[in-house]
Amino acid sequence: MIVTTQKPLDEILDFISPYKNILIVGCDGCTQPPRGIREAETLSQLLDLGGKLRNKEFKFKVNTLVKQCDSYLTAVALKDMIDDDVEAVLSLACGLGPQTIVILYPQLPVFPAQNTVFIGAEEREAGTIEERCAACGDCILGLTGGICPVSRCAKSLLNGPCGGSQNGKCEIDPEKDCAWALIIERLEKLGRLQDLEAIQPPKDHQAVARPGKIRP
Amino acid sequence: MSEQITEEIVAVKVSEESCSACEVCYSICPYEAIKRDAETGKAILEIEKCQVCGLCYSACPSKVIDTIYYDLDSLTGYLERAKQKHDSDTLVIMCKGSAPDLAGIERQFGVKKFIPLSVPCVGRIPVEVFLKAITMGIKKINVLACDEDYCRYQRGSPIEGRRIAALNILMEQLGYGTEAITLKRNSLKVQVKEDLCIACGNCVYYCPWDAPKLVSPGNVKVDMDACHGCGLCVSMCPAFALDLDNWEKDRISMLISQLAAEMAPPKVLVFCCQWAVFPSLEDEPNEHTRFIYLPCAARVDTVHIVEAFHTGVDGVLIAACAEDDCKLEGAGGKTQRPIAALQKRLGEIGLGEQLHILTVAPRYPEAFERELLQFSKKIAGIQKGESA
Repeated sequence: MIVTTQKPLDEILDFISPYKNILIVGCDGCTQPPRGIREAETLSQLLDLGGKLRNKEFKFKVNTLVKQCDSYLTAVALKDMIDDDVEAVLSLACGLGPQTIVILYPQLPVFPAQNTVFIGAEEREAGTIEERCAACGDCILGLTGGICPVSRCAKSLLNGPCGGSQNGKCEIDPEKDCAWALIIERLEKLGRLQDLEAIQPPKDHQAVARPGKIRP
Repeated sequence: MSEQITEEIVAVKVSEESCSACEVCYSICPYEAIKRDAETGKAILEIEKCQVCGLCYSACPSKVIDTIYYDLDSLTGYLERAKQKHDSDTLVIMCKGSAPDLAGIERQFGVKKFIPLSVPCVGRIPVEVFLKAITMGIKKINVLACDEDYCRYQRGSPIEGRRIAALNILMEQLGYGTEAITLKRNSLKVQVKEDLCIACGNCVYYCPWDAPKLVSPGNVKVDMDACHGCGLCVSMCPAFALDLDNWEKDRISMLISQLAAEMAPPKVLVFCCQWAVFPSLEDEPNEHTRFIYLPCAARVDTVHIVEAFHTGVDGVLIAACAEDDCKLEGAGGKTQRPIAALQKRLGEIGLGEQLHILTVAPRYPEAFERELLQFSKKIAGIQKGESA
C-alpha cells in the first residue's frame, strides 16, 4: 500500500487560511494508515482548534471516498460533495488524490494533507510500516530470495552487501536490517546461493521512463 | 513515593482477628488474592492482586471484610434516598458492564419508573441489600447481570445468580410470591455497519478474541459469541463501520456536548475505564469536572478526545487500568498508541499538555483523586497563563 505521513497542522493551516468553506476528503483506498472518515473528521476539528489560534474561522465539509486515484469514481463521488460554496479542497489521500481532483475541478485550489513517503508493508506487532518496493519497473525479487534490495538497501546495491554491513545491520542506520544480509541468509536456507554468482548489470532506471504511462 | 504507597488507603480490608477461618472468601476470590494463614486458617488479603470485585465482601458470613466501595451502609443509605427521589417501588440493580441505557432497561423489564442501582458487578451486592429493600417497601427487584461467560470479574454474575435463586425460594416461603426478584442477563456487543467497511483489517488484528473476520474486501463478519464488547475494534476502525451497544459514537458525542455545557471553566473531562475508577453512588459533581465511564479504556476513542477539546473542554484525562489489571485481555492498553499519536498532533496546536493518560486501580481509592486534583490544577494554571 501507499504510505503517507501527516503534514504538520501549521503547514496545512497556511494552505487553507485564505479560504473559509473547505471540503476535507479522506481516501478509503490503499493509503496506509487508512486516511478515511475518522481521520478526516479528526483533522477538521484539529484545524478548527488551530484556526482559533490564528483568529481564523473555517467551515468544513467532511467526507471520504473509495479511492481518489480513480478519476471516474472520484468524479462521481465529488459531484455530491462539491457545490458552489466549496472554495478549496483538502485531500487526505496520497499524492495521487489532489492531482485527480485538480483535473476534475480545474477552478478549485486542492491541497495535500499528507506527505507520501513510500510503498510499504505494515508490521502490526512492531507498529511500523516498512518500505518494501521501489516501483523500479524491473523486479529482481526472483533472484534475491524474495527480498528487495532496491528498496531495502540504503544504497540500492544489486551485487551483494557493501562494506558497511555490520552484524546484519546497515551502516546508515544500525536500527535497520542490511537487506543483503537477509538475502544471503535466505538463499543459503533455500540452497540457492549460486543465484548470486551472476553479476547484475547496472539497473536500467528507464525501465519505465518518467512520467510512467502504460496501457494495461 | 514509596512512603506514600505504604500509607495509602486500600479499598478492601480483612480483620484477621475476627475471621472465623471459614474459607468462603478464599474459595470465591477469582484472583487468588486471598491466602489462608498456615496456622490459623484465617484469611489474609494480598491487595496487589485484588481487583475489588467485592465478591468476598458480599459472601463473608462473619462480616470481617470491609470495603470502601458500595458497602452495606452506603447501599442501604442510597436506597432510602433514591426511593424518595425516584418515587418508585421498583428497584433495578445492574452491572455497569452490561447495563444498557434507560430505554434498554425499560425494554428488558417493562418498567418506566424505577430506582436505579448501577454497580461494577452485581456480585458485590450482599443478600442483606435485597432484604433491606423489601423491608423498605420495594415491591419488585429486577437484576440485570452480565451473561455468565462475559462477567468481567469471572464469577460475579454466576454467584449472584445462585444467590438470587436461593433468595427467591426464601421469599416464596415468606409469602412474597415466586418472583420477588427477577434476574436477566445481558452483554454488550459490537454493531457492524458492513456498508461502511473499507477492509483495512484493524478489527481483525486488534480483537483479543478473534471475533471479527474479513470475509472478502469490505465484508466484515463478527462472531457475536466471541465478542466481549470491549469496544477496541470500534475505537480502531478508520471508517466508523463498527459501533458498540450503548457506547455508540453518537451517544458519546452527545454526552460530551451535554457535559461540556454543564461545566464551568476550567473544564476537565475524564474518560474512565469503569473497572479502573469506581464512582460513588451519589456523586456531587464538582462544577469543573465531569466523567464518562466507558466499558474499557479500549473504548476511549481519539475522535472523542478531539471532540471534547473542540467542544470547549480545557483538559482531557484518561483513567485506564494497568495491563495486568485489564478485565478484557489487555484491550484497554491498545488505545494508548493512537492516543499518544493524537497527543503529538495536539501538541502542534498547543494542546499537548492538556491531555493526560494515567493508569489507576480502584484498590487505591485516593490515587485517582490525587492525580485528578493535580491535573485539574495544571489545567487551571494553563488557562490562567493564557488569559493573563
